[in-house]
Amino acid sequence: MFKKILIANRGEIACRVIKTARKMGIKTVAVYSEVDKDAMHVELADEAVCIGPAASKESYLVADKIIAACKQTGAEAVHPGYGFLSENEAFSRRLEEEGIIFIGPKHHAIAAMGDKIASKKLALAAKVNTIPGYNEAIDTPDQAVGIAKGIGYPVMIKASAGGGGKGLRVAYNDKEAHEGFASCKNEAKNAFGDDRVFIEKFVEEPRHIEIQLIGDGHGNVVYLWERECSIQRRHQKVIEEAPSPFLDDKTRRAMGEQAVALAKAVKYQSAGTVEFVVGGKDKAFYFLEMNTRLQVEHPVTECITGLDLVELMIRVAAGEKLPFTQDQVKRDGWAMECRINAEDPFRNFLPSTGRLVKYLPPTTNMEAAGSVPAGGGVRVDTGVYEGGEISMFYDSMIAKLIVHAPTRDQAIARMREALNAFVIRGVGSNIAFQAALMQNPRFINGNFNTGLIGEEYPKGFNAADVVHDDPAMLVCVAAAVHRQYLERNTQISGQMPGHGFKPCADLVVVMGDAHHPVTLTAAAGGWDVAFSGEICTVRSDWQFGQTLYRGSFNGEPFCMQVERRGLKYRLFHWGTQADVLVMNRAAAALQKLMPHKAPPDMSRFLLSPMPGLLSEIAVTEGQEVKAGETLAKIEAMKMENVLKAERDCVVDKLLAKPGESLAVDQPIIGFR
Amino acid sequence: MHDIIHQLDEKRERARLGGGPKRIEAQHSKGKLTARERLELLLDPGTFEEWDMFKEHRCVDFGMDAQRVPGDGVVTGYGTINGRMVFVFSQDFTVFGGALSEAHAEKICKVMDKAMQVGAPVIGLNDSGGARIQEGVAALGGYADVFQKNVLASGVVPQISMIMGPCAGGAVYSPAMTDFIFMVKDSSYMFVTGPDVVKTVTHEEVTAEELGGAVTHTSKSGVADLAFDNDVEALLMLRRFVNYLPLNNREKPPLRPTSDPAERLDFSLDTLVPDNANKPYDIKELIIKMVDDADFFEIQPDHAKNIVVGFARMEGETVGIVANQPMVLAGCLDIKSSIKAGRFVRFCDAFNIPIITLVDVPGFMPGTSQEYGGIIKHGAKLLYAYAECTVPKITLITRKAYGGAYDVMASKHLRGDVNFAWPSAEIAVMGPKGAVEIIFREDKGDPAKLAAKEAEYKAKFANPFVAGARGFIDDVIQPHETRKRICRSLVMLRNKKLENPWRKHGNIPL
Repeated sequence: MFKKILIANRGEIACRVIKTARKMGIKTVAVYSEVDKDAMHVELADEAVCIGPAASKESYLVADKIIAACKQTGAEAVHPGYGFLSENEAFSRRLEEEGIIFIGPKHHAIAAMGDKIASKKLALAAKVNTIPGYNEAIDTPDQAVGIAKGIGYPVMIKASAGGGGKGLRVAYNDKEAHEGFASCKNEAKNAFGDDRVFIEKFVEEPRHIEIQLIGDGHGNVVYLWERECSIQRRHQKVIEEAPSPFLDDKTRRAMGEQAVALAKAVKYQSAGTVEFVVGGKDKAFYFLEMNTRLQVEHPVTECITGLDLVELMIRVAAGEKLPFTQDQVKRDGWAMECRINAEDPFRNFLPSTGRLVKYLPPTTNMEAAGSVPAGGGVRVDTGVYEGGEISMFYDSMIAKLIVHAPTRDQAIARMREALNAFVIRGVGSNIAFQAALMQNPRFINGNFNTGLIGEEYPKGFNAADVVHDDPAMLVCVAAAVHRQYLERNTQISGQMPGHGFKPCADLVVVMGDAHHPVTLTAAAGGWDVAFSGEICTVRSDWQFGQTLYRGSFNGEPFCMQVERRGLKYRLFHWGTQADVLVMNRAAAALQKLMPHKAPPDMSRFLLSPMPGLLSEIAVTEGQEVKAGETLAKIEAMKMENVLKAERDCVVDKLLAKPGESLAVDQPIIGFR
Repeated sequence: MHDIIHQLDEKRERARLGGGPKRIEAQHSKGKLTARERLELLLDPGTFEEWDMFKEHRCVDFGMDAQRVPGDGVVTGYGTINGRMVFVFSQDFTVFGGALSEAHAEKICKVMDKAMQVGAPVIGLNDSGGARIQEGVAALGGYADVFQKNVLASGVVPQISMIMGPCAGGAVYSPAMTDFIFMVKDSSYMFVTGPDVVKTVTHEEVTAEELGGAVTHTSKSGVADLAFDNDVEALLMLRRFVNYLPLNNREKPPLRPTSDPAERLDFSLDTLVPDNANKPYDIKELIIKMVDDADFFEIQPDHAKNIVVGFARMEGETVGIVANQPMVLAGCLDIKSSIKAGRFVRFCDAFNIPIITLVDVPGFMPGTSQEYGGIIKHGAKLLYAYAECTVPKITLITRKAYGGAYDVMASKHLRGDVNFAWPSAEIAVMGPKGAVEIIFREDKGDPAKLAAKEAEYKAKFANPFVAGARGFIDDVIQPHETRKRICRSLVMLRNKKLENPWRKHGNIPL
């Protein structure tokens, strides 16, 4: 076994690999760019080598620097993680030449699978299902109909140069194939100046399901079941789970066996993933591509199989045989992973960077590289810490939240609770969006495909999309929190002797326009809240200033996030964010007299999309501006961001000065 | 006897109606509450003891003898806020538009006198059209009487003004002399002369809201300290605010037990100050992570944002916090921020509230507008305030403390009791670059040499240890232990005694 390995990556995956290496008694070397010098992976590793500036192409992507770091530290092998150099054939080859072991497949396998056409040919030869299609240009509509019939409807007619939905037609019968061919050809000619058109099988309601496998240097390859990765936003995976709620055993085994056949065809020896597209109507599956690396979503496979994939990768790279055979691979319970990204789901998922002012992941009882507890648990893979920085130079993933439970429903419930307890402040996160998906009926019943997010949120994601299914809970918790604050006020010094403050039991919780009267009675460890004819119990040992309100509601344990913002309490639970006022009855009656103030119309302003320095205002007051012209420039994170006019407009007032520091949403320019 | 009791009830009923149901409705339609409704929100339920409910004006001119309303347009008395006594007056816009008469002024003066005698804050809820013109000079005299009381009460008991309607002309000078002015957005305004006069005299077209609304005074002029969305929010937040204040200048600041451990460490503070000295960070993160329960009550959050001031608690005891804000103008001191912080420091000193000063200041703001505006005198206000101040003073330098601004910001030399620095602190006459450009002026054409000298200067002076060697810094502390170290220092200083020499009063550079 190796004595020391180098991890040619950063962030959560570098930390993940280090944990396994440590478990195996292998020393670790981290590499880092200048901005990552205080990163968690550097902290965790036994040694660390700086490999250059922030930009990946000057650091993490430079093979020479990694090899030099290996030589400098005496590392015998390199784990590439995912991304960066993980599927780089030349890198793998270079390492081999230098006598350093690449913890991954051999370079010939990377090369074979890295090429789309070559891999498809290999798949065909290995009798792996590939999408039926006709890959030569087609000349006439009749010819197209003939080919379509041969493939079997529905078919997709697509322009060779197509993209972004342009030059794409779906045909369900001869007539549509005939017409579709003509219009597609025409559109292709106009749009791309290239009228070559192809036809292939159209997979209806496609699901993205992939098979994890592992091979050793002794010719053994086994598959470790599948992962369902159909929940995607713009082709980026959002939620992954294992097993798939869609596959039956027969399909599952057939896919696994084909994946193994393909891997064996390239003498694959490491962890790898064969991606399939599976028809949601007919369960027909077709090979898409093979990823010759460890995947982001590998933890869900680890949960159901009880295996440590990184350990297996290291062992096979060191020449060991796989310690199990296909029929020994377990499949226990259900595992799910949510990718927690630094992005603002309410602003069209704009990436968010900056300081993690607060970072408090949910309580975990599973560890990367650790054993899977009976009954499952919660695991968080991350490479950040509170006070750390989400840098603009790398991907926006903050953490992976993984749960494991006996059933899918239990896994969802566990995930929802874990999301409630995940506190991230300072940068935006997609937690509310993940929470919304976790309660989407189509997701819950497993009836989805890769189009789910687009179909369910056609106009983007809005706060109104998340409706809390138990508003009584929000009302009662807000009342209990408020009452606790009132209670504390009885302890302020300097009160009139004998005339001290007595908190009021009758309160009103104001949510939006609704007034909810409640009456609180103290009980051991909390409050009994009389609300709308029922008594709800709230029990908690919450302390002032804590964001997490843990306790039980009507006997059920729960966790909610509570923030006091001025007079209001902001509650976060199950993806819902509610701003709530709590006051006594008399005050609430007066509150009803308060005028509704419409929020100011910000559409007539240019607002700063991010915190930064206003480096330039390119217009003057009274100037007419055409859509697309530059209005202002903001310097944020050393990058210049150009703000352009979205439509024709006339500048009314300049509301900020160059050189000024801008907060997010601060008005810069007012328009007439 | 029964009849007499009944009569009293009737008289009270009549007085409570103020200007009558129609005017009450008009008041509500403007989104404003009545004088009594406001007191109901402000004070603990059932604790208001009203005085002078039956007081009436004595004017007989212009038909005023026919118009008498008991209480005469202001509701006065005392009550409690979270059990602590406060005196209040609440002007009643439904009665003569809340206009101030001689009798109205007498009522205000009465509660102020008693507040000073018993040592309790005075809270005024202002909603008045101005002087009662029918009374002429008698009303003006009434204003002056109130002004005089304001000045005598200043520094004896806290005085807070909540502007909840018009407040124009001479009337503005009573709130102006109180310790804090809060305003309600869209329904209150303060100005010396209204939009009509402004138009006649200077030909400027301006609305009342733009000229003297809550947003104007809390962001542009700095006259007001906080702006609230409506009457309810304003009064309930005012209750919270009063929790921080001692009732008078003989008392220690209030204590409220906390469950937040004094020993709590926060390791995320170790990465708060960025490596790059020119990169800003939000000083409020330090404040919030340092104080009890992450609870910080900021004053003037929208004015002179390059300095942050406000109240918080450490181990339950109220503290005043003054902090340079690197996010705005790099945290430098200018006219507005010096005035803002200077006034806050003096309030804390008057009422025995310890001051924690967080320093990251590159210096005073350069420029003609600052010099012509009198930065010398205005900056001196902050210096004077800190130097005069005898309450416990704890200072923490997080990063830059350059030049005169270092001296000003509660340095050891201005009787700072405990002066801490983080390891990232740079205490120097100026930044390394500027210093080297002056010392090695003759090497202007040799950037390599300058760079080398800059590095040398940086290594030598851009750290807290030079100041530490002279005792200007008592200790260099780890950022994560900030709360613990400051809490201990505050407890150590609880019985601090320090007096300035006797004098009639000092002469602060006004």
